[in-house]
Amino acid sequence: MKLLPKVFIAFTVAALAYAAYQALVVAPTEQTMGNVQRIFYYHVPSAWTAFLLFFVNFLASAVYLWKRNTAADAVAAATAEVGVVFCTVVLITGPIWARPVWGIWWTWDARLTTTLVLWLIYVSYLVLRRYSTGSQTALLAAALSIFGFVDVPIVYMTIRWFRTQHPSPVIGGGSNSGLDPSMWPPLLWNWLAFSMLAIILVAVRYRLQRMEEDVEQQHAQVALRGGTA
Amino acid sequence: MKGDVALKAAYIVTWVIQLSYMGYLWSRFRRLREEQKDLKREVGL
Repeated sequence: MKLLPKVFIAFTVAALAYAAYQALVVAPTEQTMGNVQRIFYYHVPSAWTAFLLFFVNFLASAVYLWKRNTAADAVAAATAEVGVVFCTVVLITGPIWARPVWGIWWTWDARLTTTLVLWLIYVSYLVLRRYSTGSQTALLAAALSIFGFVDVPIVYMTIRWFRTQHPSPVIGGGSNSGLDPSMWPPLLWNWLAFSMLAIILVAVRYRLQRMEEDVEQQHAQVALRGGTA
Repeated sequence: MKGDVALKAAYIVTWVIQLSYMGYLWSRFRRLREEQKDLKREVGL
């Protein structure tokens, strides 16, 4: 392994440890919810990271549709898979927070439902890529990604458009909303650390995608030689 | 579920998911590397 990735991994591990310290020790205890509110520092950065990954997936898919560039297709595959992992964290940490605060694990309100739909769209995308064997797989996946991304701004806006059980926006939510200034550093540290982790996972997954393509090509060559021998 | 238990559960679940995914990537990497070696051997023959 080259030096730069090693240094980046070391910085990421340090950032994740420091971010956890910020969330669990430095962040103030919320008055009404108590310690359970600290789930916010994992839940929200995971959601932001997932949105960012789905946005990169959207861009890479658009590039693939335009240029038929296989590297863009590999980026799309990598970002979708890592995005699903982060979205899964969001969908599991949310109900764990909701149970002691709301008294229920889940409710079919607009924010929760659209987030579940978002997860299902990208799981469908991965299933399509995994099990479709035709030559049009990358093309179909790119088209699905373009349509699927429409749900990301919908998820973001649901708590602004509808009255939901999910808390109303504390960031960019108007004059009556806002985050306590002491809560910003833990939140931003966790987002930075999760984003760095996402970069590593995407880089590894991208490399795997290229390796898979290489192996497939080699299999085809071997089969061709066998057929002509 | 009490607040402190929920907090621990959420943080543990997050890392179980992330570490499981890393493990999955690692096993996939190893399998592909083996496959590449086998193919090189096959082509060499």
